Amino acid sequence: MAKLPKPEELAKVDYTPPKTSWMDTPVVIKEGMFCHGAKTKSLQTLGFPNARDWRPMDADWKLPENWKEILLNGIADRLKKYRSFQLFMDICVRCGACADKCHFFIGTGDPKNMPVLRAELIRSVYRKEFTLAGKIFGKMAGARELTLDVLKEWWYYFFQCTECRRCSVFCPYGIDQAEITIIGRELLNELGLNIDWIAGPASACYMKGNHLGLEPHTIVGNLEYMLDDIETITGKRIKPTFNRKGAEILFVTPSGDLFADPGTYTAMGYLMLFEELGLDYTWSTYASEGGNFGFFTTNELAKRLNSKIYNEAKRLGVKWILGGECGHMWRVLSQYMDTWNGPADFLEVPKSPITGTVFDHAKSMKMIHVAEFTADLIKNNKLKLDPKRNDHLTVTWHDSCNTARGMGLLEEPRYVLKSVVNNFHEMPEDTIREKTFCCGSGSGLNASEDMDLRMKGGFPRANAVKFVHEHHGVNMLANVCAIDRASLKPLMDYWVPGVGVCGLHELVANALVMTGEKERTTDLRGEPLPSAQAKEEKA
Amino acid sequence: MLLENQPKTVMLDEAGYLVHFEDWSEDVARMLAAREGIPELTPERLNMLRFIRDYYKAYDFFPIVRSICRNVSEPKDCVQEKFINALIAWKIAGLPHPEEPLVSLLEAGQSPG
Repeated sequence: MAKLPKPEELAKVDYTPPKTSWMDTPVVIKEGMFCHGAKTKSLQTLGFPNARDWRPMDADWKLPENWKEILLNGIADRLKKYRSFQLFMDICVRCGACADKCHFFIGTGDPKNMPVLRAELIRSVYRKEFTLAGKIFGKMAGARELTLDVLKEWWYYFFQCTECRRCSVFCPYGIDQAEITIIGRELLNELGLNIDWIAGPASACYMKGNHLGLEPHTIVGNLEYMLDDIETITGKRIKPTFNRKGAEILFVTPSGDLFADPGTYTAMGYLMLFEELGLDYTWSTYASEGGNFGFFTTNELAKRLNSKIYNEAKRLGVKWILGGECGHMWRVLSQYMDTWNGPADFLEVPKSPITGTVFDHAKSMKMIHVAEFTADLIKNNKLKLDPKRNDHLTVTWHDSCNTARGMGLLEEPRYVLKSVVNNFHEMPEDTIREKTFCCGSGSGLNASEDMDLRMKGGFPRANAVKFVHEHHGVNMLANVCAIDRASLKPLMDYWVPGVGVCGLHELVANALVMTGEKERTTDLRGEPLPSAQAKEEKA
Repeated sequence: MLLENQPKTVMLDEAGYLVHFEDWSEDVARMLAAREGIPELTPERLNMLRFIRDYYKAYDFFPIVRSICRNVSEPKDCVQEKFINALIAWKIAGLPHPEEPLVSLLEAGQSPG
């Protein structure tokens, strides 16, 4: 990994555009700004074309001879298949409303990171090959040939977009830039031009059911270790069930929560909450991944990887599905799962067995987010909470792009958060809710070799955190996304040292008063509780 | 890459991970540790390494970092304290080269700067 410049250096962003026009400014692929190419093994496992080891910095990308034909056919197919794509190719008037809304443009100053221009990379080729004006007037009509340099430019910039859709909020036409990137990446995938940080986890998921490649006994083993910790903290031994037929609810969460901190604390939070409710639920070692890195390769693979959730629900005979804290998982679930792999007519409309609330909005999908589930519990006064146990934390809320902008989950997590902590401060208005800034590492870009890109892209988010850190003493950034939990930590260490990162249900479980628990002296991380500290000082 | 000066020569990959899990011995561990700038394998360190290997044998996977300390009765940040980070501990324990997602996940816990 190339050494990162110091924050004060990286914060000096030059917004002067190059002297040459964008079509005449060739792409320069820079270290730290891209991820390693997908490996032979990963692509072969997934049955993807042109599996070979390749390096983006090499001049020769080992493409098939007819690569141009493959791409143009690929565009033609998708224009037929997706009306949205055709529309997004035609209707942009280049007003520029989106230009400065992208976190990658703000952090890099590179004009090709303006959403309008990123889309123009592919639109220009569309004009040349698929429109009369482009065929006749060429460059004057904004059209250009598809060359190897253009292809490399596509690759570089479609992997500098996190599909967060902030730009779409400001587009008067509502053009969904994420869909353009999704199709751009699908096209690249036809030439084997994926990145290994996406293809690797996707192939692990295809073979073993989750991105990390955890096998069933490992999943159980890892949760057992968390149960040991819970017993130390609360004095209670929890016995969750796995792959249990006849359970009322199937619980599915991203596998990151089963392995790495701080996600593991979130997983402990789920375990404690469900135990306290006496919930009739089961974990699955088959549907052991909520996330879907297939979504960052092709829609077809996303559908394949997603299918195991409904399949497992059917096999186990559950009534409905509860999902854990994840971001893009919910984009796939709430917008695609039902039409891809449904109808799930073997399931019932989710109904909380504790409060009786029927979650009508999930009538078709049959799956709800754990933040909705918990907000309903609190609203109906079903949980005994002691928010003082979180008094050592001053918390702010990061709206994860896919849950907030993608599925409108804005109020529920805030309601939960305000019930379990006493110290909560919002970041500035233009950086939260539907205008939230991306972590800079979403859509499979959270590798270790593209740290420059991640720190630049995360700069606007970090800046807003810095504001509440300095004005209100915020020291914890809470969220409901596994990629956020993994990627915001280095972002905070880099830009705003002193701010930690946690999942919502870690804070819920800290505050949750469990029946028959011993007096707690530490939080889930083993840090002394403020009340325990005060007592010690008194003594 | 080969690690010499052993009764048996053992093979390392380009990043310094043991190629064959069974090649590990305390002597090999000492050589691997020296390569990572860890001068001495104290009984505590060796204890941790043995737990890491046992875990890997049982679960075919790298151990949750916190579980290491708990199971050898060390304070909860023992891995960072004794081995700088989990990746180095795994390497010295002779575990294979982890896939990139795991490396990134663990590196996420540290400052990248």
